[in-house]
Amino acid sequence: MLRRTVPTAALLFALFTAPVGLADEIVIGASLPLSGALASFGAFQRWGYERAVAEANSAGGIAIGGKRLPVRIVIRDDKTDANVSAGNVETLISREKAVALLGSCTPALVNAGALVAERHRVPMVTGCDPRRAFTGVRQWKYVWDLFFDEADLAEAPFKAITEAGVATNKRVAILHDNGPDGQVVGGQLWPELAKKYGWEVVVSASFPVDNSQFTSIIADAKSNGADILLVDAITPQAVSIRKQIATAGYRPKVLVIEKGAEPAQFGTALGALADGVLVGGYWDPSSPYPGAKELMAAYERETRQPGSQHIADSYVAAKVLLAAIAAAGSLGAEPIDSAIGKTDATLVVGPVRFDAQHFARLPIVSVQWQKGKTVVVWPAAAAGGKLLFPVP
Amino acid sequence: MEAIASSLASGFLLGGIFALTALGLSLVLGVLRLVNLAHGDLLVIGAYAGYFLLTVTGIDPLLGLPLIALALALLAAPLYHFLIRPLMGRGVEAPMMTMFGVSIVLQNLFVVGFSANTRSIETGYSTSSLTVGPATVGWIYVIGFAISVATVVAAHLVVTRTSFGRDLRACAHDSVAAAVIGVNVGRVRMLTFAAGAACTAAGGTLMGLAFSFTPSSGAGFLLNSFAVVVLGGLGSILGTLVAGITIGVLQSLGGVLLGDGYRDLVALVVFLAALIIRPQGLMSMRR
Amino acid sequence: MAATFTEHGRATTRRGLLLTAGGLVVALAACAAAPLYFGDYETQILFRFLVGLVLAEAWNLMAGYTGLVSLGTSSAVGLGGYVLIGLLNHSALPLGLVLVVAAVAGAVLAATAAPGLMRLRGLYFTVGTLALAEALRLVMINAERFGGASGLFLDREPPVQSELLWIATGLLAATWLVLLLADGSRLSVLLRAVRDDEDVAAQLGVRSYRVKLAVFAAASALMAAAGGVQALKLGAIEPYGMFGLRWSIDALSMVIIGGLGQRAGPVVGAAVVVISAELLADYPEAHLALTGVLLIVMMRFAPRGLVGLGADIWARRRLMRGVAS
Repeated sequence: MLRRTVPTAALLFALFTAPVGLADEIVIGASLPLSGALASFGAFQRWGYERAVAEANSAGGIAIGGKRLPVRIVIRDDKTDANVSAGNVETLISREKAVALLGSCTPALVNAGALVAERHRVPMVTGCDPRRAFTGVRQWKYVWDLFFDEADLAEAPFKAITEAGVATNKRVAILHDNGPDGQVVGGQLWPELAKKYGWEVVVSASFPVDNSQFTSIIADAKSNGADILLVDAITPQAVSIRKQIATAGYRPKVLVIEKGAEPAQFGTALGALADGVLVGGYWDPSSPYPGAKELMAAYERETRQPGSQHIADSYVAAKVLLAAIAAAGSLGAEPIDSAIGKTDATLVVGPVRFDAQHFARLPIVSVQWQKGKTVVVWPAAAAGGKLLFPVP
Repeated sequence: MEAIASSLASGFLLGGIFALTALGLSLVLGVLRLVNLAHGDLLVIGAYAGYFLLTVTGIDPLLGLPLIALALALLAAPLYHFLIRPLMGRGVEAPMMTMFGVSIVLQNLFVVGFSANTRSIETGYSTSSLTVGPATVGWIYVIGFAISVATVVAAHLVVTRTSFGRDLRACAHDSVAAAVIGVNVGRVRMLTFAAGAACTAAGGTLMGLAFSFTPSSGAGFLLNSFAVVVLGGLGSILGTLVAGITIGVLQSLGGVLLGDGYRDLVALVVFLAALIIRPQGLMSMRR
Repeated sequence: MAATFTEHGRATTRRGLLLTAGGLVVALAACAAAPLYFGDYETQILFRFLVGLVLAEAWNLMAGYTGLVSLGTSSAVGLGGYVLIGLLNHSALPLGLVLVVAAVAGAVLAATAAPGLMRLRGLYFTVGTLALAEALRLVMINAERFGGASGLFLDREPPVQSELLWIATGLLAATWLVLLLADGSRLSVLLRAVRDDEDVAAQLGVRSYRVKLAVFAAASALMAAAGGVQALKLGAIEPYGMFGLRWSIDALSMVIIGGLGQRAGPVVGAAVVVISAELLADYPEAHLALTGVLLIVMMRFAPRGLVGLGADIWARRRLMRGVAS
């Protein structure tokens, strides 16, 4: 039986080797978390990538060797699994013959795919991977990342609170997930910054990204009388934490929830309970950069869903990649790669320039939920409103 | 002191809710010998049902609980009839994999139909707190605990005091022998599956009120329910209640002693230890 | 346990055993030579198929022969991955030896867990293995020493595609060798006796615990080595991916789709699962639903797996032909 099945299997393999990228189009690929725990990020990124590609095509495509070619983007779902993310990138390169790639979201998924791209020498531009998590993996040659720096994100609430001159007891409780960026922000940077700003850390705890109950740590923070609660968690956990703070009868005067409080769904899920929550962001529709307001409006019009800053970094990553292909005027990996490195443009997230470690740093602003909307409250130059204090 | 009291009280109450979320899994495992890998997704359906009941019609999800439970029972009956019934008596693997198939289809439907956004059922009582002595707990935990315990006790009475319950116990003990003495095994199984789904949906609504949920929340819910079921003994209803509360309290103890990060781990380790020391569960229906 | 085991295609005589072994060697040679006639893409898929097949064969060894239905494949896979990356980064051991150590670690894990898990029968064993895998994942997420939730990176370049394929082929060869030994030796009689009725077997003097332990340890060793090979290919591991429920479900569904306890079941099942996952991923909106529907339909209409279904159809046609003549 086995002797019969092996040739059959080989035949099956041979059967689906057909689709090969035709020479009259430019194929770029992306593996995204469209299902599983991070599916909400994937949906935003997909929209951003596809919008940039659609814009390139409606402008007549990209000129390669004197001929304008349309761009085709192939998207595969990595199910929020790093193994699948790596496998998808392989398929995009070997079967779809993608000339360049766009990244997934969160360090685990981005890095898994990026390592494959690096090994196969295919250029990749990604967002959604903070500086230390990205540059700590290796010195990249073909992969480029534009996102925020953990150090900026960690310090923003300290600056916002200090500059607003509000009175707290300077007792701070820290609660962070132990994912790569949560560990850096909550585990290392916040305790260091607390010392620098003269705040006293009374409680500090970490938890797995997919934890659901936080009653012990919240009760601990409450009984220690912490006026300031710093949280770093993804959205489902952020919503649960905010609810559990309320059910514990704990009323911190300052509440920061990094990462999770950013997407509009945080406000939708919590209603009035979201008010007063501070979160760092690298993009807001009110940003002074060209096309910011229009981008968010287009997202909400097309999807009828509340948006997120993740539409902006994904859109810009694709814009940077497509501009580099156009500047290279070639589909070769080396010309595209060096064109990405020369990127110097002001896009919807602000100025984009890559450093020697292949990272472009997006500036952080502090936004606060006020009456169901996010308002930039820091830095003063970009602020659209005043800090709401204390948390209602 | 205050923190420890609050934490343990919350764990105790939450454990009661765990019992309700695990009751359906336990019934189906005990009577049908079915490892329902779609159990977590049925809980998520319950949460979505509560969410849309509130946001679309404005009916309070707690008042709507019977409605949600009934709807899920009606949905579950054909699921059993067409997918599970033909596989009965052919080992545990085929029905288990069928339910895994159902699970991934449901997750896909959630994402396509409702988007991947995080949701949470928002009512006044789901975020207000109650202080008794040194302990502060959420009202939703107290309400959820009361509903859960009432449901579990009612289920226990149905199983021990009614003729349907007698048939159910006969099926759980030995379905062939039950058929010989004239029990309509197929009917008992379908009703058990439907009733299990109804309890699961109600539990899911409570979870949606107390926490948040996404299309992929089912996996975490499933593992938690498994721990409760096995600790309580397959198919043992009061065992489920005792095990739910035990796990709730142990998780809180783990949270207090080691930090919230170890909460689930502590529960799992205790669960494994209990499994090994007493494989038939704390209280077993089949002695 | 209702593992419907058939004698179909099974090597009971010495001659049959030799023939089977010869066929397997040809198949392995074909795999090892694949980079010569396959492109990158087909070689990558073949690699995924080989890793999946090793898991499925190991799983089948346990379930098909002793009735142990495990949902804990991921615990051995993850352990193997972490051992491999850890040893490559922090020791000078050669790759071959590191893979052997990873396999031994898998066996040790099984032997450590066995005194507890082996007391559990049927459903309890299944749920127990699931809990063990989940507990290990949570330990790794919280263990900063092992990289916590960020995981570990391999500090050198992984081998090239063709070398990875040869390593995976070698692992499959080892797996088939274990299976042939289990099949051809006195052990196979014991294994089936334990599966069919543990109590009777015990009365007949079979030390069922030792037999089950040997099978459990061998299967875990193979799974851990497969996890090591996967980690070697990725060059980066983290607990959510390496200890994910996906590995357990994959191994299980490959065997069930192919045919539980059937000799060729894992091969067919692994091919169907790997190829369908790859092809369906072209439809990101619907691939999960399609995978689910495929699984449901398979279970509904081919509960003995595709190999069982094929055997039934074959038998029926022979019967029809016999009636006609």
